[in-house]
Amino acid sequence: MINNSSWRSRSFAAVAALASVSMLAACGSNDSGTPKTSSANAGPVVAGESQPGAFKGARLTFVSYGGQYQKGQEAALADFAKTTGAQVVGDGPALLSKLQAQVQAKNVSWDIFDTDGTTASVNCGTIFMKLDFSKIDVSKAPKGSYGDCYVPAMKLDEMLVYDTDKFGSNPPTSWKDFFDTKNFPGKRAMLGIPGAGYGQIIAALLADGVAPKDLYPIDFDRAFKKLDSIKSDIVFADTGAKAQQLMESGEVTMSYTWSGRGMNSEINGAHVAGVWNQAIEMGDALAIPIGVKDPDAAMAALNSYLGKKQQETMTEMTSYSPVNVDAEPKLSEVAQKWVTTTPERTAAGIAPDWTYWSKPDIYKKAADMWNAWISQ
Amino acid sequence: MERLDLPVTDTAVAGRPTDHQVGRPLGSDGSNQRPLWVRFAPVLLTLPALALLVAIVGEPLYEVFQRSFTQPKAGLSNYDWFFSSSLNVALLRRTFVTAFVVTVVCVALAVPYVFLMTIVSKRARNLMLFLILVPFWTSTIVRNFAWVLLLQHSGLLHQFMAKFGFDVTLIGTTKGVVIAMSQVLFPFMVLPLYATMSKIDVRLIQAAKSLGARPSVAFAKVYLPLIRPGVIAGSVLVFVLALGFYITPAMVGSSKNSLIAGEIWNQINGLLAWGPGSTMAVVLLVLTLVLLAISGLVIRRSSPLQGGSR
Repeated sequence: MINNSSWRSRSFAAVAALASVSMLAACGSNDSGTPKTSSANAGPVVAGESQPGAFKGARLTFVSYGGQYQKGQEAALADFAKTTGAQVVGDGPALLSKLQAQVQAKNVSWDIFDTDGTTASVNCGTIFMKLDFSKIDVSKAPKGSYGDCYVPAMKLDEMLVYDTDKFGSNPPTSWKDFFDTKNFPGKRAMLGIPGAGYGQIIAALLADGVAPKDLYPIDFDRAFKKLDSIKSDIVFADTGAKAQQLMESGEVTMSYTWSGRGMNSEINGAHVAGVWNQAIEMGDALAIPIGVKDPDAAMAALNSYLGKKQQETMTEMTSYSPVNVDAEPKLSEVAQKWVTTTPERTAAGIAPDWTYWSKPDIYKKAADMWNAWISQ
Repeated sequence: MERLDLPVTDTAVAGRPTDHQVGRPLGSDGSNQRPLWVRFAPVLLTLPALALLVAIVGEPLYEVFQRSFTQPKAGLSNYDWFFSSSLNVALLRRTFVTAFVVTVVCVALAVPYVFLMTIVSKRARNLMLFLILVPFWTSTIVRNFAWVLLLQHSGLLHQFMAKFGFDVTLIGTTKGVVIAMSQVLFPFMVLPLYATMSKIDVRLIQAAKSLGARPSVAFAKVYLPLIRPGVIAGSVLVFVLALGFYITPAMVGSSKNSLIAGEIWNQINGLLAWGPGSTMAVVLLVLTLVLLAISGLVIRRSSPLQGGSR
């Protein structure tokens, strides 16, 4: 699935480079002299660059969800290991309860943990350590993709994917059409996953006519009323594989799904297309638990992970989009169709306000209401 | 299967001293003369296992109880939350109904199957046992995934039904979950049932018939009471195991038919809500124990009828 053509436009690269230079300057100026336990770099760090031999003998356990995703992530960390002399080993799956037990027992064997931004934020300072951004260069990471306790791991979109055989001449263009079963008949697939409520609540509000700038504070009752309106037409998928299968078998005509699953459906021969308008930007996060043996090594690993080359590797090996705006992964034709980080797609998409969703009461309310809705 | 009625034996038996004596044919006279260590040898031998059980079951169980009353704050707030949430009550009801239906399906399929096992040749019986045990020994994930492939839209079963004009969606539905769970739990019904049914003297039925009973009457009045202990033991096993099912509803079903175990997982691993998650586990455990106690009573009540089955 990898070929030699690049998906990115020149103008975007130029803008991104300009933006990153100015951000880098800002970043370098607030380099506070926090105490260093390892022989870390004294000057401002650059994403993707590691100091040769800096962490010889260190051993970092990288915890994610296995499969091709983790393989791609570990490949992105290979350069860090090679340069610094640290050993990076993989483990998984990334179970939050297990990590919590490790942190509480003060016996932490996981050093870098793949989770999502809201989880990292809600547990920031209790399970995950506050990151020192003088040691991690996030100037090339997409805006809003990092927080006090996390950096992005990858990017994807939750988007409307539709059957082009059914709606080829009159394709849906927004979430409004997803909720309009009169003009766009057929079953809808949604993600019946406890943690996947945010984007679907946002989609319901957008469909109900809320403007993107007026989304917050979220009107939960309005969102669930809209969701209820098509509930009898919804088939829930609780794994990505099931979401994909529902599209491929033609059981549903539209799907609220992950961009990567849309791509896999197309690779498997399904006649599908995605709607970039109002696509909801999502992604995983990487965080470091409190009590890791060598926090500096872990942070240096994150800094390396965010590098241009490293992100190109990650994207080329997985179906996910890079979290370095300079990255130019070599992608196949079909992968280019589904990669989320082109300027046009970024502009058309909706970036959730993760600060809002990470407020403990909102986090809990969203989880409770969403969970009750998908389970009944 | 006999293990299951042990915890309730003493209470159930209290009113029946005769049973108690019959159950111990060796009596207590002889054992009094033996050295102390011989008499306590069985107890001593169980100590390692007991210690292991206390450590890996008892302690975590205690922790679960404790957390349900203390996290996030001390008191009964978690139990208030549990019973005032329509989702929790719905999940609890769905869990018990699903387990009950699965049990009924297993009984309905297992009784004729095991009956056939008792009357066919030894080779055929072994084959029938083999057919039960091979899936039993197969990884749960593999078995459940096989069901996903069979049940899914355009899957084998769906295509087969479509040939006859039925467009039945099974994947992601409670029906599909019940089918898959019944298959996964089938061996737990067959094995205790076989243990009981293989020991039934079929001549009893012939005797009933020779005394003038119609076949249906002989079946209902002689055979059914004889197999009842096996049916109850198998049902208890299947029902209790079904109550804790997590993987099958997650893989074959969807969130709409998730059971309480899935929600416990979600509370604890998704939200780190140990208190509420533990509370759900305690409610499930207590209800299960109550049901076990009741079934223990029922087994005791039916025991005078089992005669030659042991």
